[in-house]
Amino acid sequence: MRAVDTTTEAVTRFATRLLDTPALRSLPSLQKEEQAMNVLRTSGASLVPVFTSLGLDVSRGWREPAGLVSRAIRGATDRMLETELADLVTARVQLSFLPGLTAGRTVPARARDDLRGLIRQAARHPIARSALAGSLAVTRSDIIDKYIPQVFERKKYLYVELSRVQRLTLKPDEVADLLRFVLLVRPAAYLSMTPGAAVDRDAGYAPVQEQYLSKVLPGIAKQAPSFPPPVISLGLRAALSYLPGDTVEATARLGAILALRGRALAPGVTVDRGADSPDKSWFNVQRKNARFRGLDSGMLDELYTIAAENRW
Amino acid sequence: MRKTADVLETVVVIAILLVLVHTFLDDYAILADWSVGARAFLIWAGLAFDIFFTIEFLVRLYLALMAGEGATYFLRQRGWIDFLASIPLLLLNSLPHALALLAGAGLLSGMGSFLNVLKVIKAVRIARILRLLRVVKLFRGIRYARSPMAQAHVSTITTIAVSILVLWTLVASALEAGGVIPGVEGPFQAGQARRAAVISAGGPDAPGLALRAAAVAAMDPTVLVVRPRGGAVVWSRYSSDYYAAKFLPGDYGYYVNQGVEVFTDERPQGMSTAREGLVFFVAVVLIVLAFLFAYAPRFAMQVSDPIHVMKRGMAESDYNLEVLIPNGRETDDIFELAALYNTVYLPLKDRAGGADAPAGSALKIDDLQDLANKG
Repeated sequence: MRAVDTTTEAVTRFATRLLDTPALRSLPSLQKEEQAMNVLRTSGASLVPVFTSLGLDVSRGWREPAGLVSRAIRGATDRMLETELADLVTARVQLSFLPGLTAGRTVPARARDDLRGLIRQAARHPIARSALAGSLAVTRSDIIDKYIPQVFERKKYLYVELSRVQRLTLKPDEVADLLRFVLLVRPAAYLSMTPGAAVDRDAGYAPVQEQYLSKVLPGIAKQAPSFPPPVISLGLRAALSYLPGDTVEATARLGAILALRGRALAPGVTVDRGADSPDKSWFNVQRKNARFRGLDSGMLDELYTIAAENRW
Repeated sequence: MRKTADVLETVVVIAILLVLVHTFLDDYAILADWSVGARAFLIWAGLAFDIFFTIEFLVRLYLALMAGEGATYFLRQRGWIDFLASIPLLLLNSLPHALALLAGAGLLSGMGSFLNVLKVIKAVRIARILRLLRVVKLFRGIRYARSPMAQAHVSTITTIAVSILVLWTLVASALEAGGVIPGVEGPFQAGQARRAAVISAGGPDAPGLALRAAAVAAMDPTVLVVRPRGGAVVWSRYSSDYYAAKFLPGDYGYYVNQGVEVFTDERPQGMSTAREGLVFFVAVVLIVLAFLFAYAPRFAMQVSDPIHVMKRGMAESDYNLEVLIPNGRETDDIFELAALYNTVYLPLKDRAGGADAPAGSALKIDDLQDLANKG
């Protein structure tokens, strides 16, 4: 029994150290987890000496010890995620948009706790957890704060969609705050999905159907009562696919793009000489794939232009 | 073993840089009228460098032959440059200069064997130009671009340019010396020989040899010493001490007619040659610098960098940066390819992998093993 405890301690210590290695240090917790899991998944067989060093039994193959290490990594990630969430929900998300969307209603005292609870719930669900990785990465980055002021300055497609079509009467910083909220609520759209064989491939980014959303909305809204259902809906609808002519709110369309962008974010990436900037490259690729991914190509065009003008 | 090899390579690079400084000073010392002592030091230093590079070439050749790669080393790894910049220089330039220096102390007291050395020095002075080929060897040690291809290309084009300059100058000098093409050295030497003949007319016993020498020397300030062969000086422009203080063996011209030896001052001619040498040296250095700092970055930007970005994009699942296509170069083949990479390959890769597909990992198996070993 003592030996088992020692092994568990060694694996836990290993998982914690692994997530803190220099190669992963700059990443958000869920992206660290993803990177660590990728190694276990793709090189598990080559990691037998590692498992042996940790005192794990490898006599029945590598999958069993890899499973133990995976669970330890997930546990370590959850602990890191708690710290990240506390910082995110108190410092990054102000909920300053709420009065503007609810006819001047003040922000309920429990609103932040409700949001945190929704995110925690998403983190416990395999598909929603995957969706949360992109959302957290982008809300923790400065992307939203960089692009939204530009959108308001340019007063082109994105501005028109946000303020004329969706009729938002919010200031740029409130729109940025709303987008962070949308991104953090979006993973909840996948809470009712059953993980299948394709969990690794499209988890958290495959578009959902409008009918499905209308079914799950009441349940999700009940878990975050501080927010009116239409506000929660803005976040969930960021999981919808968009085709020209569809009636998906601009914030949801922009949220879908940003969530996907968050998934591909690599903080501190060194841009090779001869390579284009990361944002410009990514938006340009997605312009070509807009239809395939169900993204608004007009928004991608404008974001690409902003990235190109600013060399982002 | 690898560490020793790296240290030796560093020593070679330092030696190449020093020998370039030496080559510059060798000519500059003549123009600046440096003291005989300083110029003699440069001659000994030149000999030391040439011995060093000869040993280096022989060691490299020996190691290559032992590995059965002698031809590869000599032809493909620029062993021919190592050869041209070592053994011929040692035999034709620095060694004769050093020998002449050794013999030079007894010049005016008469040393027949020295005269042949003196002629050799004059003939092979041009061989010093081969030293500039060593510039090319510097490219072995410089890593100015990530890509070995960029390095190889810039090294090749520099080798071609410097080799052609140096070797053609050498050939042109040989043709000039052989009278195939007209030059300034031939008429100058002929003029000196004519004046020596006027002085020597009638031989050493003819009356008035000293007077004739003085008369010609009054018109030609390059006439220095006249004496019967092996005999005492009958006329001299300066004292023996002055010659010892101001002249090295290579500074004299030597003519013998009808048993009369005439020594002339070749320093003005030497200064002219040194000036040409410096101009040539600077030209070669500028060409090398231009390739290194103007051509190499352009090559990197227009060829190797786009290839590097595309290679990474194809090899790494989570590397999706586009190739930056510079304005005005869109029709270059490489950027047409890059445009296809940007607009066709990357979107297809994104679709095939899915933006959410498991990306590669920044973690290496070794990292995990190290962590596990820490306990």
